[in-house]
Amino acid sequence: MGEASGSIYDSLRKKGVSRRDFMKFCSLMAATLALPVGGAAKIAEALEKAQKPTLVWLEFQDCAGNTESFLRASDPTVAQIVLDLLSVNYHETIMAPAGKQAEKSLADTVKNQKGKYLVVVEGAIPLKDGGVYCTVGGRAAIDIAREVCGNALATIAMGACAWDGGIPAAAPNPTGAVGVKDAVKGITLINLPGCPANVVNLTGTVVHYLTFGSLPLTDSMGRPLFAYGRRIHDDCERRAHYDAGRYVREWGDEGHRKGWCLYQMGCKGPETFKNCPAQRWNQGTSWPVEAGHGCIGCASPHFWDTMTPFYKRLENVPGFGVEATADKFGAGLAAATAAGLIVHRIARAAKKKSSEEEGK
Amino acid sequence: MPKIAIDPITRIEGHLRIEAQVDGGQVKDAWASSTMFRGIEIILKNRDPRDAWAFAQRI
Repeated sequence: MGEASGSIYDSLRKKGVSRRDFMKFCSLMAATLALPVGGAAKIAEALEKAQKPTLVWLEFQDCAGNTESFLRASDPTVAQIVLDLLSVNYHETIMAPAGKQAEKSLADTVKNQKGKYLVVVEGAIPLKDGGVYCTVGGRAAIDIAREVCGNALATIAMGACAWDGGIPAAAPNPTGAVGVKDAVKGITLINLPGCPANVVNLTGTVVHYLTFGSLPLTDSMGRPLFAYGRRIHDDCERRAHYDAGRYVREWGDEGHRKGWCLYQMGCKGPETFKNCPAQRWNQGTSWPVEAGHGCIGCASPHFWDTMTPFYKRLENVPGFGVEATADKFGAGLAAATAAGLIVHRIARAAKKKSSEEEGK
Repeated sequence: MPKIAIDPITRIEGHLRIEAQVDGGQVKDAWASSTMFRGIEIILKNRDPRDAWAFAQRI
């Protein structure tokens, strides 16, 4: 909740972060952003000069899972850097003021720093019935989003719900929930889908902005390529088992105990694009597949409808159990195929829903 | 008697509004409202029961 004064590096030094830890953080960011040699030094140079950007964090139809992810950096130094990188003026879960005083912090930022602050949105925005399904301070989420995102430098939609409506938008979408991209048009928007999104990717996006003065390159769905450019299946540590046809067939069987491929158990890694296998979670400790559960495809569009049932094996995954064809599966081809499959699955989910409704 | 409203209540996980009727510095009556609804129970209907943990976990 600090004031934006002094450079980020100065502020870290004052709080006792060593040069070594600072450089380690810069190296982590350079690796996350897949920068060429010298990237860490470039980031360090930028953070030595850059002022903290002001950030406001809006929570709408959310479970605060992305807030948890944001605060979850288990290494105290990195947690400190993440919190110090930003001047957080408004965040309901962690801020001291409540009620009118809290609303004032937000209104002051929008008024005094118009066009200069960043917004993180967590949670979906309900449009049905005049937006009554989510209000803060008596105002509908959609009104707040239009005003706060509309006057910001850029908006970061963190998590599946802020991206495309996520779980509240799952069929039958009782509250008419949508993501920021469909609720507020014409804004500068970066999407960090996932349930939750990884804090490393939020930090990477902010560091990219501070270092290069621009937001990272994105794909056609507005997701930064550094984080969503590669398929989970292609970077999975269990991939060799997939190619060799060694599958877990039942929870707790020999293959499960030996860490074989989870494809037959419904793993959605072959259709999901995110950097989980490389960045992992909780300071790089582990990730779902390493822990023995398949990927649920949480960075994919409308995954609560398109990737469920979670334990049903994916259909038509090319290269099934054959090393030669698996290698033919280039990144570009994978993207095209996965996008095709996802479209097919959305259509199927919609069809399923309408037939259920007919049956009523 | 003046009625005060505190919304948002911060430092909690979720959305909360408190209204209180105050008389001579004493709270005489108070009302709490959760100002966000998603309908997870409605969304869970007709789904594979093995997926329920993932949905319910997001409450």
